[in-house]
Amino acid sequence: MSTLALLFLIAGLGLIGWLTARVRAVGFRRDSSARFSSLPSHHGTYVALWTLLPALLFVAVWSSVSPALVTDTVLTAPAAAQLPPPGFERAAVLSEARNIANGRTFGSFNPIAQQLAPAYAAAQSRYDWIGTAAALLLAFATGAWAYLRIKPDFRARTRVERVVMLVLLAASLIAILTTVGIVASLLFESWRFFKIVPIGDFLFGTHWSPQVIPANDPGSALGAVPLFWGTFFIGAVIAMIVAIPFGLMSAIYLTQYAAPRVRRWMKPILEILAGVPTVVYGYFAALTVAPAVRDLAVSIGVTWASSESALAAGLVMGVMIIPFVSSMADDSIAAVPASMRDGSLAMGATPSETIRKVMLPAALPGVVGGVLLAISRAIGETMIVVMAASGVATLSLNPFGSATTVTKQIVDLLTGEAEFDSPKTLAAFALGLTLFVVTLLLNIIALTVVKRYREAYE
Amino acid sequence: MNNVAASPSGVVPDRAPTDWRTDAMQRRIRRRYAAERRFRFMGLSAVVISAGFLAFLLVTMFLNGASGFTQTELKLPIDFPRAGLTLDPAQLHGPAQGGGADIALAAAGLERATDAAAIAAFGPKGDALLSDGAWLRVRDAVKADPALLKTRSIVSVPASAAIDSAAKGRGSAEAERQVAELGQRGVITTGFNPWFLTNSDSTDPTMVGIWGALKGSLFTMIVTLLLAFPIGVLSALYLEEYAPRNRWTDLIEVSINNLAAVPSIIFGLLGLAVFLGTFNLPRSAALVGGLTLALMTMPVIVIAGRNAIKSVPPSIRDAALAVGASPIQVVFHHVLPLALPGILTGTIIGMARALGETAPLLMIGMRAFMVSPPERLTDPATVLPVQIFLWSDQVNRGFIEKTSAAIIVLLVFLLAMNGLAIYLRNKFETRW
Repeated sequence: MSTLALLFLIAGLGLIGWLTARVRAVGFRRDSSARFSSLPSHHGTYVALWTLLPALLFVAVWSSVSPALVTDTVLTAPAAAQLPPPGFERAAVLSEARNIANGRTFGSFNPIAQQLAPAYAAAQSRYDWIGTAAALLLAFATGAWAYLRIKPDFRARTRVERVVMLVLLAASLIAILTTVGIVASLLFESWRFFKIVPIGDFLFGTHWSPQVIPANDPGSALGAVPLFWGTFFIGAVIAMIVAIPFGLMSAIYLTQYAAPRVRRWMKPILEILAGVPTVVYGYFAALTVAPAVRDLAVSIGVTWASSESALAAGLVMGVMIIPFVSSMADDSIAAVPASMRDGSLAMGATPSETIRKVMLPAALPGVVGGVLLAISRAIGETMIVVMAASGVATLSLNPFGSATTVTKQIVDLLTGEAEFDSPKTLAAFALGLTLFVVTLLLNIIALTVVKRYREAYE
Repeated sequence: MNNVAASPSGVVPDRAPTDWRTDAMQRRIRRRYAAERRFRFMGLSAVVISAGFLAFLLVTMFLNGASGFTQTELKLPIDFPRAGLTLDPAQLHGPAQGGGADIALAAAGLERATDAAAIAAFGPKGDALLSDGAWLRVRDAVKADPALLKTRSIVSVPASAAIDSAAKGRGSAEAERQVAELGQRGVITTGFNPWFLTNSDSTDPTMVGIWGALKGSLFTMIVTLLLAFPIGVLSALYLEEYAPRNRWTDLIEVSINNLAAVPSIIFGLLGLAVFLGTFNLPRSAALVGGLTLALMTMPVIVIAGRNAIKSVPPSIRDAALAVGASPIQVVFHHVLPLALPGILTGTIIGMARALGETAPLLMIGMRAFMVSPPERLTDPATVLPVQIFLWSDQVNRGFIEKTSAAIIVLLVFLLAMNGLAIYLRNKFETRW
């Protein structure tokens, strides 16, 4: 029986348990006038939970254990005597036999596999039936036991709610599991990488050319400094030169000058900029902005201009970041007490003087926090640089030249059919770890700055 | 005016009263007002330029992409009885499941017959005017109406990419000349291309469609929603309503806030290492894509959910507790229904972000070339943003308009989702 059908069957048993228990609990209520701690549906849920959970647990355990049991049985079959000794070859024959038994492949590469297939099919169906019968029996037994426990004064509610609380707790633990998963997988793969390439070569080497990695000294081709520089140059310099003035001035205009009607329309329109998928920005950067930037460079006399310039990627990324900067600036300007602004205006300062001399200095920590978050966002941004920046890692200050970033290199290293344990693929995880650590630090600093600032006026 | 500064108590001020009418003072005031106007103008232009950029982006995409929804077609006369097709008509009614008719028609030499018909109709290089997949359209026409095989009939077939872009006014001089010539003969038309919505990927820009990618996106979004929504809502409930304030819940809280700020490509690395590397789930599948995006979307839902739950006033909880509800009943019967519109808004925004996400899906291999839409969650699939990315890499010029057209479809979906979120927020916004 397939697992899906079994799950449906167990779910059906659970439903039956719920209904019968509920009927019984309703019966208690009719028969007596005592006060009850639990509603009939609590009794029902209690029985349903006891029917479902142990059986589902059993199915989960069984489906991880039974393949090994099946293999053991197959090994006792007469045809198994000809199997090669334990090792890679034997595993290959066995998996082929399994595929034939499941009808996934028809022809066979190895004649022994063909002979073993019937034994495989027989063992599999036997263990399937054992598993199904045991699961259904278990569901029935635990459900019946729970059904017998319910009595008029049985506190089903407390028990059901305890399970609900456990489910809630488990749901929130998933966040921690994900974080642990990210950190563990990055650390594990990076550790394998740093066994091949010394960490110093990776962090301080200035030559990056992963296309050809010399086998005797892989570190000489995997120095990540040009990537760090390119990431910083595109994400934290060029993008911010666009995003900070535009974001800040937009926030100032919309909070201080604009009529409420204008503000109500313009704020969502600017927020759309953050909602446009990055692949669209990337396409736009590559198709429209990059050629324009190159033409501009040629017209102002730059002799060597790349069509995949740092400037094109940075400009478009800056536009994408504008709403982040403007909404953070908006929040922190709005948090400046009105009395400070009114005081300045009452002294005769013009609104712009008030904003520049009073409000911005007071809002500065919030604005700085917003800018740091925006930088963290920009250096983690992938698609724009994948589509608009070049793959050539250079250390140059020329915005019309090519530059590459950490995220672009991760994509380049991991797309294409590479082995999972070559220094090339592992390097992507080391780059990922670096990116994770840097963005994490930026976020922590930004949040600390913002928090400290908020305390000042509360 | 110049007495303003004098104090009423008669004490002599320590400097002379300001004379506002002097030239120096007037100049200073003018300068300050000019600075004020400049500043204000800078603010206005920042807003206008930012919005202008958005408008420029949208207009560019629309102008490039509008023509992607149309296709130039040629009216190709084919003389089927004389085309030399080696075909047994009975095979056309074979089992449709195994593509019996398709195989029979391909084996009968339909592709060669189509090219020959094009040469007969449009001159020695006539077959170059047709799209590489033109014979597929002939095949579909024959399948729909086998009676065609007995007659000389005219079938509309897609023109080649060069002719197509020339007909839309962007082709080479040579192609423009051919189009003009064909136009005089009245065999060329440009019209809405329904195949763009129903076909899947192809190497030929005149034959591509987005249905495969759209279906992949749909599958991925279903998996994401089914995982991220319950987990997100339940953990928001736990953290906001029940969690004791201790080191553990702080850790959970910090993790969630952090996850919301982790670059999306890191989630791709996680999916690659854990789902593909450790659990050996199928590569390129919508299932793995959905799992990866669910981990990314969950923190967004948790944060939105907590804000929505926080805004439900305590009096509602107190009232429920006072009539004897248990803490679980308070939350599931009273708080959650009131907070649901806010949670839904956050969910839609999170799903919109997941729908537009590309980088993590590239990591788990959803960049494969898929000519058929996925049938199951474990089938290899691609999604709309990845399809856009793949087309953007194509050198063939015909792909530019197709890429922009796919972008239009994606943006329409995203704007619709965001619009729905704003509508829900406005409709259900409650102030207690």
